[in-house]
Amino acid sequence: MSLEKITDPRRMRHWLGHMETDYRYTLGIAGERFLNEIKENARIMGARCKRCGVIYVPPKMYCEECFEKLEEWIDLGTRGEVYTYTIAYVDMDGNRLAEPVIYALITFGDAYGGLIHKLGEVKPEEVWIGMPVEAVFKPPQERKGSITDIKYFKPAQ
Amino acid sequence: MFGKKRVAIVGAGLTLFRRNLKETGKELAYEASKMALDAAGMELSDIQSVVMGTAPDAFDGVHMKGEYLADGAGARNKPYVRVYVGGGTGVFTPLAGWWHVASGQFDTCLVVCEEKMSSCFPHPAYAFTTIFDNILARPLGTTLIWIFALEMHRYMHKHNIKKEQIARVAVKNKRNALDHPCAQLAANITVEDVLNSEIMCWPVQRLDISPTSDGAAALVLASEDVAKKVTDNPVWIDGVGWCIDSTIWTNRDLYYPDYVEYAARMAYKMAGIKNPPKEIDLAEPYDPFDYKELHHMEGLLLCRKGEAPKLTEEGVTARDGDLPICPSGGLLGVGNPIAAAGAMKVCEVFWQLRGEAGKRQVPGDPRTGVAQAWGDLMQYGSVIVLRR
Repeated sequence: MSLEKITDPRRMRHWLGHMETDYRYTLGIAGERFLNEIKENARIMGARCKRCGVIYVPPKMYCEECFEKLEEWIDLGTRGEVYTYTIAYVDMDGNRLAEPVIYALITFGDAYGGLIHKLGEVKPEEVWIGMPVEAVFKPPQERKGSITDIKYFKPAQ
Repeated sequence: MFGKKRVAIVGAGLTLFRRNLKETGKELAYEASKMALDAAGMELSDIQSVVMGTAPDAFDGVHMKGEYLADGAGARNKPYVRVYVGGGTGVFTPLAGWWHVASGQFDTCLVVCEEKMSSCFPHPAYAFTTIFDNILARPLGTTLIWIFALEMHRYMHKHNIKKEQIARVAVKNKRNALDHPCAQLAANITVEDVLNSEIMCWPVQRLDISPTSDGAAALVLASEDVAKKVTDNPVWIDGVGWCIDSTIWTNRDLYYPDYVEYAARMAYKMAGIKNPPKEIDLAEPYDPFDYKELHHMEGLLLCRKGEAPKLTEEGVTARDGDLPICPSGGLLGVGNPIAAAGAMKVCEVFWQLRGEAGKRQVPGDPRTGVAQAWGDLMQYGSVIVLRR
């Protein structure tokens, strides 16, 4: 095989192509209801399995464990806890971000799973695993039924 | 058991792993396949079936990559299938090859794994953006590295593990790779070098991560009858296991890979292994990040939960230690062309058990080895147990 060490791939004879395709992803049965609750009522919901008792967040249409259809929805409030977090210093291309961004996995009591989201109103060095946080929602007129209707989670008072 | 036939590996082949290779994906598949056939002393006409493993189509930028690569893997006019379980593909593909032969349907199967990640530019990280949940994760600008950083941080928190301890894995594997003729990122570095490297997404730093790579690997599988005709040194596939956890990645505890444990238990049961650390002579767990080697050692039941960093510090996992881990140099040192990287680990165990690993040979005449890969959205485990 070729033993040449190539650091600049543009030096090799090549053809430039792209796979440009756009997609429209439906939110789904559970996803639409979950995000609609955030949009209309600024509340985070879980779905409880009546057979296993497991509460899923984000809610699903079915229980992964027993395949029961999930019909009972529970208001989990807007407060959770930092389960783990990272401080991102670079973007997709490896370029330094102007300001680091804190991403966390936030859990809600005994519910199974959690939400990943940004943390705000807090400095990287002030975050800790186990820290109570609460959701900060965009104003109602700006909410579109997206996970970004939650601006970020901030330290809970 | 179930009338299964015993299956052996009788030849292995591996290309260079590099950031940019001139060869097309098909040509890489050919190079590895040809080398594996030559090593087995076989011709393409001796091969009755072909299994191809290759990860997302978006890396090579070819939809239906299985079909695209078929001729490079010698599959023309043969029973052929492509399998794909993300990063777990490289160990899963030999498992799929195993059932082709174990079922009794074929006497031989050529297993080929390929990835050409350099086609995707400026960086194949872009091909990863569409693996995350469209509704809840992608709107946040998810990148691969911060997803791993969340898991690494939870693992460190749970067991009170220091970054210095994790960095030792990168140091060990990159040094091991100095003896690997195919290695892309072999280096003699120190723990300080890792700790001083660029912080990407805390706690992940530049030298905690394996590179993106082009490369291919291949294995020739044979039934017992054929294996005994073509070689005096067959290496037997004595255990296979695979498992998937919840596909909602937030629905896992993140500090322990249950799915690896379940896959390992399946493989160990089949191989009759009751005490993994005692009965396994060397292991090649998947190490795309340094902490993942530790994570996976624990999932493979090679030590207790949270104990892997200590074993690494004590030198137990060094090539000349009591339980050599990633003597090849792993993904951190040899490189990470996704599917080919996992298959490289199976090749390494094969060569180690045959005593053909050259300068990388672990001492003590190893008889039993394990390779493992990990993939999909951080929840797929594939495990293979080899014995001579």
